[in-house]
Amino acid sequence: MKKLIILTLILCHSQVFALVKKAESIYEKSKDSNKNAYIAEELYKSRYYFSSVVFAKEHLIEGKTFSKEFENLLEELVLKTGTMSFYGLKDNILAKYKSPSLNFILGLRRFNYKKYNGAVKALKKVPENHRFAPEALFMMGSAQNLLNQTANANKTYDLCIERAATFQDRAKNKKLKRYFSIIRESCIIHKARILFKNRQYEASLKAYEEIPKTSYRWPYILMEKAWASYHLGNYNRVLGILVTYRSPLMTSYFYPEAEVLSSIAYFKLCLWNDSLQLVDQYYKVYRPHADALKDILVANKGSHTYFLKLLLKPIKEMEGMNPFVRNLMTQVRKKVKFSLDLVNYQKAQNELGFIRKLKDSPLKDKMEQAVNGAISWRTKHLNHYIKKQMFGFINDMHKFSYEMFNVKLEIMSLKRDLVYDNKKLISSRSRGSLENVARTSKEHFFVFNGEFWGDELGEYSFGLKSNCKRVRKDIEKEAI
Amino acid sequence: MKLLLIITILLSTNSWAQKPKKNVIIKYKQYETFDLGNLEIKGKIIAPGDLSVKERKRKRFSRPLFERDQFDPEVRKDIQNLR
Repeated sequence: MKKLIILTLILCHSQVFALVKKAESIYEKSKDSNKNAYIAEELYKSRYYFSSVVFAKEHLIEGKTFSKEFENLLEELVLKTGTMSFYGLKDNILAKYKSPSLNFILGLRRFNYKKYNGAVKALKKVPENHRFAPEALFMMGSAQNLLNQTANANKTYDLCIERAATFQDRAKNKKLKRYFSIIRESCIIHKARILFKNRQYEASLKAYEEIPKTSYRWPYILMEKAWASYHLGNYNRVLGILVTYRSPLMTSYFYPEAEVLSSIAYFKLCLWNDSLQLVDQYYKVYRPHADALKDILVANKGSHTYFLKLLLKPIKEMEGMNPFVRNLMTQVRKKVKFSLDLVNYQKAQNELGFIRKLKDSPLKDKMEQAVNGAISWRTKHLNHYIKKQMFGFINDMHKFSYEMFNVKLEIMSLKRDLVYDNKKLISSRSRGSLENVARTSKEHFFVFNGEFWGDELGEYSFGLKSNCKRVRKDIEKEAI
Repeated sequence: MKLLLIITILLSTNSWAQKPKKNVIIKYKQYETFDLGNLEIKGKIIAPGDLSVKERKRKRFSRPLFERDQFDPEVRKDIQNLR
């Protein structure tokens, strides 16, 4: 058995070596106008994907022929190396060919530049049975959504849900199944967001309920569900949903917005002291977080590698760091885009190692230079991604700190008015009661006993009574 | 008739014969005080005597607190986090 494995490995290696030889020969001798396409094909067969990308791009820039085989090659290269490999090509080159793969990248490019009409136009060219169809439909629906073309967006999202489910069933790889599941759920969430935007809060809550608790997206939508409940005036549900973020299972999720929303929910119930307590807590908890992040960012803002190295450090080495920064790194690692880009980055590094082992030749020099360039660009890109997430978080903290201050000012102003009117709120602290819990038939009910249980998460509701009734101070005195 | 004429002439000559006028200095009061409380106004009282202001509820403008009415930035972020 051992001998058989060794023999197979040798055979495979020699085959790969033969294919590189073929690529070398084309590179040095061929005068064919499609020379770059052939080299790309040979390098792809030898599994030098990142090297193959360089020649495929050169072929596209030269703009000669575009065969069906070349389209298949592009599709494979996008899958193996990521969309970023062709993202740098100009719009006119991407739009030049009748290629679903290139139109998918063009759509992504235009979407990121907020050219939504152009994005829809490009994405319509990706057939419904294409491998990129679920993503293309998701992106197209989002572009239509941002263009406020609600009916079109809903239609596209429905198709996205259907296509992603089909691809999920077909996928044999567990990770790929999960990827299509995320796309399907994302389309459902976007539909719920459309309902929310159109002030159909109850329907929106119903749509959010379709996302199971086991989903990767579930913790992120709790906030959106809380906002829908807020607009329905169910402040007890808002507080219950948001308390889920305090469960030990969700320590890595930070939502400054959740603190603001909780504080406003207490404010709406006229529980001003509870609201003020949350405001004070916000400053106590988030300020050290912001300071810790700021220290790291200011010291390393010019570095192109620091944040990536920090993220790649083993957990043991990160123990000395602020727990908040550690948790933030965990959040970044969970992002689909980041994990895919990181895998591709590591693949590119492996490929460079194999290229260095090849015999010296002009092709080897070119491949080494190209893959080195790709690695350097990807390092900067990943580092920038982490840095951007950190900056985004600091900005959020500052923004919500302002909102918290506003809540505090409003409460102080209302308290002053009460004094001037010789009035007071009916109770200084309202107690919870089951009578105040509003729920639909689909919502579960659990009593909170100081412990978080996995199946209960997201189902909590407070039972606080509104304290907004005002009474005259002197009447109460007379009663005494 | 002659007698009447003679009397008239005599009377007119008498008025011409008056003494020259003296310099008259007119002095005004330097201070004058009015005791308003002591002044009495005659008439009928048709309104309340003390000053009164009607209490009016003032409009209170509340601060706009943070509210979410759409998740468009999240929609954009979702696409940026795609493949």
